[in-house]
Amino acid sequence: MIIEAKSLCKRFRDVVAVDGLDLEVEPGRCYGLVGPNGAGKTTTMKMIYCITEPTSGSLRVFDLDVISHPREIKARLGVVPQENNLDPDLSTSQNLKVYARYFGISKDVAASRCQELLEFMHLSDRADSPMPALSGGMKRRLILARALINDPELIILDEPTTGLDPQVRHLIWDRLLELKERGITLLLTTHYMDEAQKLCDEVLIMDEARSVDVGTPSKLIRSHMRPYVLELRAERGRVADILSRFGHLEHQSSGQNLYFYGNATEEFNGLYGAYPDVEHLLRPASLEDVFLKLTGREIRQ
Amino acid sequence: MNAGILSVSPAFYKVWLRNAQVFIALWKFNFLPALAEPVLFIFVMGLGIGSYIKEIEGVPYLDFVAAGILGSAAIMQATFECTYGSFFRMRIQNTFEGIISTPMSADEVGLAEISWGATRGMVNATLVFFILLVMGVFHRWQVIFLPPLMFLAAFNFAAIALLVTSRIAQMEYFRFYFSGIVLPAQFICGTFFPVSRFPEAVQIFAWVIPFTSYIDISRSLMLDRPARALGPELLWALGTTLIFTELAVRSMHRRLVR
Repeated sequence: MIIEAKSLCKRFRDVVAVDGLDLEVEPGRCYGLVGPNGAGKTTTMKMIYCITEPTSGSLRVFDLDVISHPREIKARLGVVPQENNLDPDLSTSQNLKVYARYFGISKDVAASRCQELLEFMHLSDRADSPMPALSGGMKRRLILARALINDPELIILDEPTTGLDPQVRHLIWDRLLELKERGITLLLTTHYMDEAQKLCDEVLIMDEARSVDVGTPSKLIRSHMRPYVLELRAERGRVADILSRFGHLEHQSSGQNLYFYGNATEEFNGLYGAYPDVEHLLRPASLEDVFLKLTGREIRQ
Repeated sequence: MNAGILSVSPAFYKVWLRNAQVFIALWKFNFLPALAEPVLFIFVMGLGIGSYIKEIEGVPYLDFVAAGILGSAAIMQATFECTYGSFFRMRIQNTFEGIISTPMSADEVGLAEISWGATRGMVNATLVFFILLVMGVFHRWQVIFLPPLMFLAAFNFAAIALLVTSRIAQMEYFRFYFSGIVLPAQFICGTFFPVSRFPEAVQIFAWVIPFTSYIDISRSLMLDRPARALGPELLWALGTTLIFTELAVRSMHRRLVR
């Protein structure tokens, strides 16, 4: 196991951030943590990369205990934090080289790795740029390059693509899949369920400090959802009317949006016929449906 | 995890080096403004007020006040670096969180910050030292001990400053530290006139602040006269430096590794 947590707990004064979490990440896999804001994802990650200490339970990374061996663990992993912490006063390549030094990488090796990584992240022509000259997407790519400076066995990514344009998101996805192919283990959090579905071999859904369910995306969908979803967007007055006639089908409502769940598309035929003019979308169930079903539709924090 | 100075590996210099690298990149903004205050003091106190005072404790006023100006240059720079500078790196730039996500530890970050504050204090004091040298203020060879003494003074105040930094939630709290300790230190620790002019209670407060000891020792090196109590003064200077460094490093650990 690359990561193994048993009954992991973290308490900050009277707030329980992580409560009895069990987690097993096998080498070479991409593991996703998803959950509403404040669910405990970031705290879990910080315990794994040893900048927050567990209150109780056990947590081993690379089969080493996080409390007794933080230095050894941190030497072997790379971190993409949620918030940008690049050095704003240093250039792109200086940012990488300063980190190389923290890992004890020699100057020559650092210089060649720096060049390699900037190429890998499409930043070669920006090697000497000052930080304020970089766009948000470039900064994010640089942070990912920085996380690779020590040739890590495990990369921890806290919302790696939040706020990025589709081009950069796809570049980052491609790179992450390439890294996974090289055998590097990935642990990521995301609020984008399409991202989790695309990248992750296994997803753990967290809510209110606890694990709600864990499994492959398709297994999670299969065990919680019927395979088909019909989304309707009705005018305010018609919602009640629709529900009075088709409320016997499994459904959820959220404002003007109605979601009907079915085992076969034919189950929705009556609905179509009755309301041909209502805007609708028939699609397979997704991880997002599972997420909303398990963690609810109301706003959390 | 172990905490404190004894847990720090020699690799802490890498964090010091990071600060030095940023300092060099921004040298224009860092160098000259830091020198403005001591130079202003030399002119206002030494040459301006000094022209009225003539002598104090039997020496020309500029010769007397030189120790205070030199000491202020060291501790003020160190204090600014480890209050606003460190807080900015910690809270605004998230620099420390990034560093401790590598094999570096929070304790190493703490000691590196203090060392860096001390370095800046000493660099500043050394520049002032040369200005005073050129002005012909020094008359004894013993003044060569001043730069290392200023390094210790800067280290001492950098440690106290980082302890404060590690304990506060927002930058505004620094105002209490500056008006409660730093500003009084600059004015009552024998900087511009002898501590003995104050009522006894103020004198005790002044001697508790280690700055008074540094100034007294500096003055004994510059002027041909003994320090009031060299042994205890040195012991107080070294002791408070050691204690505050340990406290600051441990406190930084608690702050960063929660």
